[in-house]
Amino acid sequence: MAHRRVPTPSQTIGPFFPEHFVGGADHDLTFLDDKSKRAQGQKIYIGGNIYEAERLPRWNCVVEIWQPDANGCFAHPNDPRRARADPNFVGWGRRSSDDAGWYDFITVKPGGYADPLTGKPRAPHIDISIMSSGLMRRVVTTLFFPGEAANVQDPVFNAIPDAAVRERLILRPEKLERAPNDAIAYRLDIVLQGEGETPFFVD
Amino acid sequence: MTPPDRYEPYDEPSQPLMRVDGYRESQLRTPSRPLYKRPATLTEITGPLNLAKKLKVGMNDLSRIKQGAPRAMGQLIWVTGRLLDEDAMPVRGSVLEVWQANAAGRYVHKADSGNPAPQDPNFFGSGRCVTDREGRYAFLSVKPGAYPVPNHPTRWWRPPHIHFSILGEGFMSRLVTQMYFPGEPLNGIDLLLKAVPDEKGRERLVARWTPMMQLERADVVGFEHDIVVRGHRATPMGF
Ligand SMILES: [Fe+3]
Repeated sequence: MAHRRVPTPSQTIGPFFPEHFVGGADHDLTFLDDKSKRAQGQKIYIGGNIYEAERLPRWNCVVEIWQPDANGCFAHPNDPRRARADPNFVGWGRRSSDDAGWYDFITVKPGGYADPLTGKPRAPHIDISIMSSGLMRRVVTTLFFPGEAANVQDPVFNAIPDAAVRERLILRPEKLERAPNDAIAYRLDIVLQGEGETPFFVD
Repeated sequence: MTPPDRYEPYDEPSQPLMRVDGYRESQLRTPSRPLYKRPATLTEITGPLNLAKKLKVGMNDLSRIKQGAPRAMGQLIWVTGRLLDEDAMPVRGSVLEVWQANAAGRYVHKADSGNPAPQDPNFFGSGRCVTDREGRYAFLSVKPGAYPVPNHPTRWWRPPHIHFSILGEGFMSRLVTQMYFPGEPLNGIDLLLKAVPDEKGRERLVARWTPMMQLERADVVGFEHDIVVRGHRATPMGF
């Protein structure tokens, strides 16, 4: 057998993740650079507060998202439909929560897809990771959209047995000040610990 | 080359505890409820492969503000290693980010503004590169200083360390970690290093010395540090 290697242990990101690593338009997934065309699909804005224990806002969290394009495709060799993926959409973004604990992204609404691994339909969703000083490993969860018929069959959504807890992962339409005019705005607060705690998944 | 398509759960003792005694921030931010298990779907086994197009890379000299500028205070170090997956295959084209304190133990960051240690105007403090065909990365820097964690009841000092952020080939191979230096007495009291229960796991966080004659330059001390991210590829490796 080939020599198995064990993954390197995770460590906290600490408080000093360089600010220039999270600058610019890294939280705007709708374009690659100034020269590229806009990504296809409905532009959306997602924003919310991140809270630690006692519902205190947590600034300086590094938040990353990963999602398929508007048609539910990934530009990745593991996706059999990759040839159809939107060339102007990278699917990844990063943001640092601000002094008030606010994080936000501008992206396009992801399409659902038929998952080749579980055989189940995946509802539109966005995977999100949160890293922070004090978190020895990142925490991960998945955001879902309101009113999607496919939510009830989604294997990840249904991995949370308690319906009231599951609801905490559904984005809520809300008029948000910082949302661009041409975007549908959604809010989702993330509670790392305490009452109303966000459900997180095993990484 | 095919990226990994299989990700097994982490082996628990080889990863750190989430709640660490004496590390208050870990008590305030770690979720209190057990994590839910979710099936890996296409979203989890894919990831951005072209991030080097979006993120500026090629910043691998932390020891000066820009080329030709005076170098930072401290001992010059050359840190290199390979990024591998669990089958020991090189992870190519992955964005890798590093950041560290200066030789006096102070960060280039507003969150470290209360630190009484001096800033070094010639120290850049962070770098970003992309791994090559062998999965190799390399940085020139200065050896980071140790620093005391402010107002800590046990007088906890962080040993010299470099922070690493690895984007990998998929959502599940994302890794944020720290590299420690061999032979540092403060390693033994560090709460973050000690948070990894398994001794072999802790050893995986400590770099190796590079023999002097293997270095291309005489003015640096070299460290070799391989990093393994999660993932297995579809084709089984040789026997
Ligand atoms: Fe540090």
